[in-house]
Amino acid sequence: MRPQIKFCGMRSKKDVVNACSAGADYLGFIFAPSKRRVRPEDVCEWTAELPQNNRALLTGVFVDEEETTIIQTAKTAGLDIIQCHGNETSVDVHAMKTALSGVQVFKTIHHESGALLRMKEFENAADGFLVDTKTEHSMGGTGTAFDWDAVPEYSEEAKRQGVPIFIAGGITAGNADELLKYHPWGLDISSGIETGDEKDYRKMVTIMKKTANVYAFPDELGRFGDFGGKYVPETLMYALTQLEEAYHTITAEESFKAELQQELKRYAGRPTEITYAGSLTEAYGGAQIYLKREDLLHTGAHKINNALAQGLLAKKMGKTEIIAETGAGQHGVATATMAARFGLSCKVFMGAEDMKRQELNVFRMRLLGAEVLEVQSGGKTLKDATNEAIRHWVANVDTTFYLIGSVVGPHPYPMIVRNFQRVIGDESIRQMEEICGKQPAEAVACVGGGSNAMGMFYPYINSGVRLTGIEAAGKGMDTPDHAATLSKGRKGVLHGALSYLIQDDHGNVFEPYSISAGLDYPGIGPEHAHLRDSGIVNYEAVTDDEAMDALEDLCRLEGILPAIETAHALAYVKRAAKSYSEDDALLVCLSGRGDKDVHTIQQVLGGADK
Amino acid sequence: MNRLTQPGFQTKDALFVPYMMSGDPTMDASTDIAVALQEAGADALEWGVPFSDPLADGPVIQEAGKRAQKTGGNLPQALAGMKEARKKGLHIPAVLFTYVNPVLTYGVEALIHDMKESGFDGILIPDLPYEESTDWREKFLENGLSLVPLIAPSSQNRTEKISKSADGFLYYVTSLGVTGERTSFSEKIADDIAAIQNFTEVPVLAGFGITTNEHVRHFQSIADGAIVGSAIVKEIGKEEEALLDSRTRADAVKRIKSFVEALISY
Ligand SMILES: Cc1ncc(COP(=O)(O)O)c(C=O)c1O
Repeated sequence: MRPQIKFCGMRSKKDVVNACSAGADYLGFIFAPSKRRVRPEDVCEWTAELPQNNRALLTGVFVDEEETTIIQTAKTAGLDIIQCHGNETSVDVHAMKTALSGVQVFKTIHHESGALLRMKEFENAADGFLVDTKTEHSMGGTGTAFDWDAVPEYSEEAKRQGVPIFIAGGITAGNADELLKYHPWGLDISSGIETGDEKDYRKMVTIMKKTANVYAFPDELGRFGDFGGKYVPETLMYALTQLEEAYHTITAEESFKAELQQELKRYAGRPTEITYAGSLTEAYGGAQIYLKREDLLHTGAHKINNALAQGLLAKKMGKTEIIAETGAGQHGVATATMAARFGLSCKVFMGAEDMKRQELNVFRMRLLGAEVLEVQSGGKTLKDATNEAIRHWVANVDTTFYLIGSVVGPHPYPMIVRNFQRVIGDESIRQMEEICGKQPAEAVACVGGGSNAMGMFYPYINSGVRLTGIEAAGKGMDTPDHAATLSKGRKGVLHGALSYLIQDDHGNVFEPYSISAGLDYPGIGPEHAHLRDSGIVNYEAVTDDEAMDALEDLCRLEGILPAIETAHALAYVKRAAKSYSEDDALLVCLSGRGDKDVHTIQQVLGGADK
Repeated sequence: MNRLTQPGFQTKDALFVPYMMSGDPTMDASTDIAVALQEAGADALEWGVPFSDPLADGPVIQEAGKRAQKTGGNLPQALAGMKEARKKGLHIPAVLFTYVNPVLTYGVEALIHDMKESGFDGILIPDLPYEESTDWREKFLENGLSLVPLIAPSSQNRTEKISKSADGFLYYVTSLGVTGERTSFSEKIADDIAAIQNFTEVPVLAGFGITTNEHVRHFQSIADGAIVGSAIVKEIGKEEEALLDSRTRADAVKRIKSFVEALISY
């Protein structure tokens, strides 16, 4: 959802009409001593002609006002919300709520030390919050902003309480972009939409445009622009709705967050470090290269982030049987690991061809107690394993939780997996600030289905950091042996989502090729399709040879054996680093380690010293 | 108006609608089988399109799709095949059974045009649920073609809106899972079907897993009719060799016809 906008300090019918036509979600009226103070009868008149459906919510601002006056004002003016802007206590707020049934009561918190604790005091009393700059006149509206680094903490607390929260104080068209980077739930703007002492329609429109640009996908239909959706048999539709509801409810619960946080930290090994690759930087020339070390996680790749989180969700939903698809076996191993840890039963569907190629991972999964089901349909690889997992799910939808391993599949999966992987990008933003004092010029990740890339990119969207996803060009883009879905594919529906697909002239999907078993998926997450078509993320393709070359570089220069998937991102870095100056940083998502690939690497490189 | 929405189909009791894979094992054989199914008593025909990822189908129909693909089966061929079947005397309503992706590739406007020209009356797309179907449903409807919706035992509160959107007929999925043969069905099906019949005027046909004469009769009594797929497709599969040889094909088609006659006899 885009941030909600409240235009505050409406003083005339013209202000009200302009604010509504600009698209404001909330209108604010001041009923306390102020140059913007208005009378309740006037508000009633100005708003009388607004449409009754879907109109902006009317908010009255009061400072330590008598309850009877507030009640009278709310009635006369037809307010939807009372905003207590003074030193009201939670007892006052509670009493007001009881007295004014049907009207919500918001509490203003002034940004100062102890403000978070103060918010907690109003839990179960306030229906919403507004955080404003602390000024001498408690009415605010002086045009000064507070330090917005604190915004995420306030947002988090409001989210925990399950209530809305506006950020206020000194927001203008000039600095709104800066604030929007902190993903506020809502913006409250007063002096920022005025010229002289008058509200200015053009400024209102400018602010609305800026927030409309905020990246807010998927929409309520599960679409990322044109892409995504739910193209599944009717039998599964109810299960998807149920999953979406459970996801929203359960992941908002404090106990879920705490437990997941604990598992990610104490079991999986988060946060992962960012390593400066000095020798690689020197060898490639140009940008300083940094590695986000997902390879250091338990089971050796980012896949465990998603497996633990979805597993915990399944457990809280009361599902006892987990099914998953796997190609290379990484997601299968991560899921089997989670299932062992959480005491859930686990079936992994795997193509017969892949089982031959990834014998060791099959053994690992079985050792972890999972049942590996050999898939004989179609081309006997990941695509068919996914079909078979979906078929099994259709038949056992009441008891089974389908744990999808990448940002693919029908809504809500692409969103869920992205949100469970965004920890990669969230940590990176913090760590880059600590290590370099700034964000990278470019962030790079390999793309199979696209989960490690979405995890890295999502928090960076619209931040000015160039984002680049790397597909597998296999034996070359001018050969049929590639897995470059975005570069070479056509729009189509596979596994429940509309995205780009490698397919023939009649819409039959065929097996892509890449040396890496984790990148040879004929589709790609629908969000990547949208990010590519809207120009937010760049996508490039690198060949098997380039990837293997970069893999050797990282081994020799940094003592890190990356997964072959990951090596595709590194191959791009080798190409791109030179185009940057030494002052720029390049951040690579090191999605996994290469132990699983040693056999393939040995076959390709002959195991001999060069 | 199409053949499905005519009173002849809408008001008849105990409907029987078989499913077959077009081009299995060749398009010529398929068109003969289609006419034989009509002679055996089919009230309408579902005409399958081979596809690489038939998510809603079990192994029997997957195999049929593979056999059809071996002899060049695809969406354009399925359209051409229906034209041929009409020439051979097929006059019952025909429903194209295809997944979303081949339709996207073909283009929905072009498909509508060509379906009408080939003599189709409706289309059934198992991976196009209600929420994604609005645009297409309107386009098919404007052109006199029915988009047949599906309802499953797990549809719950979705049942009403889906039922009300139905045109031609409504497909009630009798068991969770993919197409294929079943030995038992849940008790609650009769209640579900009765509930659906309250929301819609069109016939409610039951399908998925209906295998025996007993099943057919049971579902013809609790619903407006029965759809049989895998059981027939399996018979066709058994006759693959005979159907491929022009000398033995006519006899093989006769055996398939007798099988179907026995399946639906009272
Ligand atoms: C190490 C590693 N990186 C990347 C991928 C590709 O998946 P995704 O694009 O979902 O991150 C895989 C998949 O198996 C993997 O194991």
